[in-house]
Amino acid sequence: MIAVLALLAGVVLGVYLDPTVPAALQPYLPIAVVAALDAVFGGVRAKLDRIFDDKQFVVSFISNVLVAALIVYLGDQLGVGGQLSTGVVVVLGVRIFGNVAAIRRHLFRA
Amino acid sequence: MSASPGDRGRDPSARVYAPDFLTELFREPLDPGYADAAARRQEASPSRWRRLLARPVSLVVLVVIGFLFAVAYRETVAEEPSRAKARAGLIAAIKQREAETDRLTERADQLREEVGRQRDAALSGSQASRLRKLEAGTGLGRVRGDGVVVRLADAAGDKDAVTGAGVGPSRVLYSDLQKVANALWAAGAEAIAINGQRLTATTTIRSAGEAILVDYRPVTGPYEVAAIGPGSMRDRFEDSPAADLMRSVGRSNGLSFGVKDAEDLTLPAAPQPRLRYAEPSVSPSPSPSGSGAAGSKSPGPSGSGSSSPSGGGR
Repeated sequence: MIAVLALLAGVVLGVYLDPTVPAALQPYLPIAVVAALDAVFGGVRAKLDRIFDDKQFVVSFISNVLVAALIVYLGDQLGVGGQLSTGVVVVLGVRIFGNVAAIRRHLFRA
Repeated sequence: MSASPGDRGRDPSARVYAPDFLTELFREPLDPGYADAAARRQEASPSRWRRLLARPVSLVVLVVIGFLFAVAYRETVAEEPSRAKARAGLIAAIKQREAETDRLTERADQLREEVGRQRDAALSGSQASRLRKLEAGTGLGRVRGDGVVVRLADAAGDKDAVTGAGVGPSRVLYSDLQKVANALWAAGAEAIAINGQRLTATTTIRSAGEAILVDYRPVTGPYEVAAIGPGSMRDRFEDSPAADLMRSVGRSNGLSFGVKDAEDLTLPAAPQPRLRYAEPSVSPSPSPSGSGAAGSKSPGPSGSGSSSPSGGGR
């Protein structure tokens, strides 16, 4: 419950402050969002599995975002940025899908 | 992936190979760290300060994630009008450049007229009139005369450019204009202009996407091909295969095609061609083979007598 409130607080904060993203960081924004979604759904599922761990959650989020950004950055430098971000999105997307399926099984037993 | 030969003798359970990454990913999408952490917690409960600290930190991370979502959403929404703005800006830039080109072309025409006047004043009468005739024949000078106007227009009510129907034969194609122009030359035309763009020996009629370019300038329908030529030109053009084709296309697709006589047509001069490879021959009696082919650096055959000044146009 508190977690949901914290998430909402973040959204409100983002809407209120309306920060401008520097142009250099803009390509990483979508990837960061996907990585964050992965961390959130992973955390929710772990919670439902009763094995949630705060440290694991924090570390997985930060490392996800950093690794995804690093891969995209490297790809940009090598000229294959589009393909590598597709790879990142596919891997994280598969995980999000699997975790959401597990959450669904937990909630609806189906 | 496979064990080296030396490992064969050992206990197979000593070494567990993980299945490949994608299989693992599909089978167990949850980060294995959660299970490990839970197992560790079973063995020994974490230190007190870590338990106190962990909750706030993960809440802060959640706030950050929410912030990230909001920022990304706003960024995506803000991107849309900027894209439209960029498009509108590009269109405005194109329009502005076109206007600028028109202005400069007009100025170039004025200057060319001025140069012509000065030259006429400087040259003797026969030389000046010879030059003027050459210019008229090659398309570099304005010409007047009687002739015909061929009018082509797209079929009405068929502008579905999204589904690609616009490329169909119900529109005037660049090749139609090419065929009409060639048939007019063949019928004896001495000067042709399409929508006010004079055709010279090096003029191109080609398509770029949906637009038709005449001499690299876009022209839009209805297209009027004006030609100055002998009185027999109209009949010869009407008998040509190109006119036949356009008539049948017009009957079957609703494209409009018409030929009418016109008196006292005035066709503008074409812009000065930019010659990159051909150089003017310096021989005292210039050969009138005006269509300068690439790489013709050798001086023209001196002594080849004068021929019809309109030879370059055909």
